[in-house]
Amino acid sequence: MGATVPLAASVLRRPRRRIDARPYAFVLPLILFEIGLVLVPLGIGFYYSLHRVDFFRLGDYVGFDNFVRVLTSPDVLRSLAVTATFTIWSLVFTFAVGFSLALYLERDTRTNVALRAIVLIPHVISLLVGSLLLRWILSADAGVLALILNPVGLGDISILGDPGRAMGALVGNAIWRDTAFAMILLMAGLKGIPTQLYAAARVDGATAWYTFRRITLPLMRMPVLITVVRLVIHFVNVLTFALVLTGGGPGSATRGVSLQLYRLGFESYRFGQANALAMLMMAFNVVLILVLVRLFRQRGSA
Amino acid sequence: MRRVRRRIRARVVADAIVAVVIGTVALGPILFGLSTSLKARDALFRFPPELWPASPTWENYRLLFSEGVAIPILNSILITTVTVAVCLAVGSLAAYALARFAFRLKGAVLVLVVVVMSIPLPSLIVPTFTFASQVGLIDSRLGLVLFYTAYQLPLAAWILWGFFTTVPEQLEQAAMIDGYSRLAALRRVVLPLSTPGLVAAGLFVLIFAWNDFVVALVLINSESLRTLPVAIYYFQGFFGREWGPLTASAMLSIVPVLIVFVIFQRHFLSGMTAGSVKG
Repeated sequence: MGATVPLAASVLRRPRRRIDARPYAFVLPLILFEIGLVLVPLGIGFYYSLHRVDFFRLGDYVGFDNFVRVLTSPDVLRSLAVTATFTIWSLVFTFAVGFSLALYLERDTRTNVALRAIVLIPHVISLLVGSLLLRWILSADAGVLALILNPVGLGDISILGDPGRAMGALVGNAIWRDTAFAMILLMAGLKGIPTQLYAAARVDGATAWYTFRRITLPLMRMPVLITVVRLVIHFVNVLTFALVLTGGGPGSATRGVSLQLYRLGFESYRFGQANALAMLMMAFNVVLILVLVRLFRQRGSA
Repeated sequence: MRRVRRRIRARVVADAIVAVVIGTVALGPILFGLSTSLKARDALFRFPPELWPASPTWENYRLLFSEGVAIPILNSILITTVTVAVCLAVGSLAAYALARFAFRLKGAVLVLVVVVMSIPLPSLIVPTFTFASQVGLIDSRLGLVLFYTAYQLPLAAWILWGFFTTVPEQLEQAAMIDGYSRLAALRRVVLPLSTPGLVAAGLFVLIFAWNDFVVALVLINSESLRTLPVAIYYFQGFFGREWGPLTASAMLSIVPVLIVFVIFQRHFLSGMTAGSVKG
């Protein structure tokens, strides 16, 4: 800005010594909303996590007892493993497919623009509705699977009744919905690469693979990192896929940490432990978010 | 020459196949849901399944309305509308401060905005419920509007900030010389020139508030206050394996989103990349 401020502006703006209250008045409502309805609840949650809570009644101060209990609970540990499996597979496929689509659909032709919109549709509809529709199409009642799989001789396969396949379905749900998200973020990065670089490479007779490796990939480092971090944050926390598509089952095969948290709070009503687990998740998220902020700053100054 | 032509034709065919695959995977589950929602009960479990009902019927939709789906729809419309209005109003004020003033805590405000924008909601619901039950914001449409606003304000402010910085400052200064206050300049000069920004921000808030499921699920108890996604969730228990009305309720949620998305598609992307790409 500085250098391009027009003369009128610099003349009009008197040097001020006192603190100018006006910008604060303008941002105050936003700050109040965020403090009052995001930060204060987190504070209350932390306070509860340090106490015994019987249903909704706050009991004695117990220090980090709830945290110890949560971290030694076999259910929680199992859910962490489920979340790790789900996150890794979803990340790999969503990223790979998203990046491929970003490269494939990068040019703004009419078909590409239409295809991008189509890929985005599973992302803009409600998470709940998406998982519900997938549950229907994957159910034996729908008959779609049998229709496809009968000819291959796998007729009576049950997807959601088998632990491994249920996890596959959950990952499939993630790919189906979130590929578009990866695609859009990565495509924005691709569009930021100066076209002269590609032109120069072509003049030098570079192959497509060489151009991709030596120009696209190095310049995509930031967008790639940002996309990966944002996807990880999303996959580690997402609740609706498991809650609606698999219900965490069969058994506890797809019960990830967010579903464990939900059950602990809203089905077992253990709000001391649930808040402790929520704090642990939040700590994990905050670390990743700070990484994101840092990446974002680097990119801003670059 | 012939080989080149053949290669071009192969390319066209490959592109067409890829397009069909992308379309089928992305839209297949939605279109099959639409088809199911138009099937009569006896056609539902027929094998092989009809991809499109031979005799489509509105019976499932009629059933939903006789079960009172209009109430959650109205709740969702009300909550979404108010949330969009509040987010745009409060978000504009904040974005204006970010775009027009240099102030000491600006960096801190920006960090707050990016952090809240990135917090995934499932990790917030337990503390939020704990807090809301203390202050009486459980089972209240107002409560839902307030929380939705808190979650979407950062994004709205971020998008608007990007648009406000493109409005030339001289226009405002001219207005202020004519006696406009800062606030009046924002309302009469900056906002009218930032319509695309208001549309983009509003669109994002609208889709969020209309689609949200997890926050409403834990904060709303009464049947009469349910939003549409929460109602759909409970329909699952009510209708069981009757996928006709279930898929019909899914379509009631999807169709408005799709209409808005198709009309305003261009504006949509700026919100998705917010927080990742400089606006």
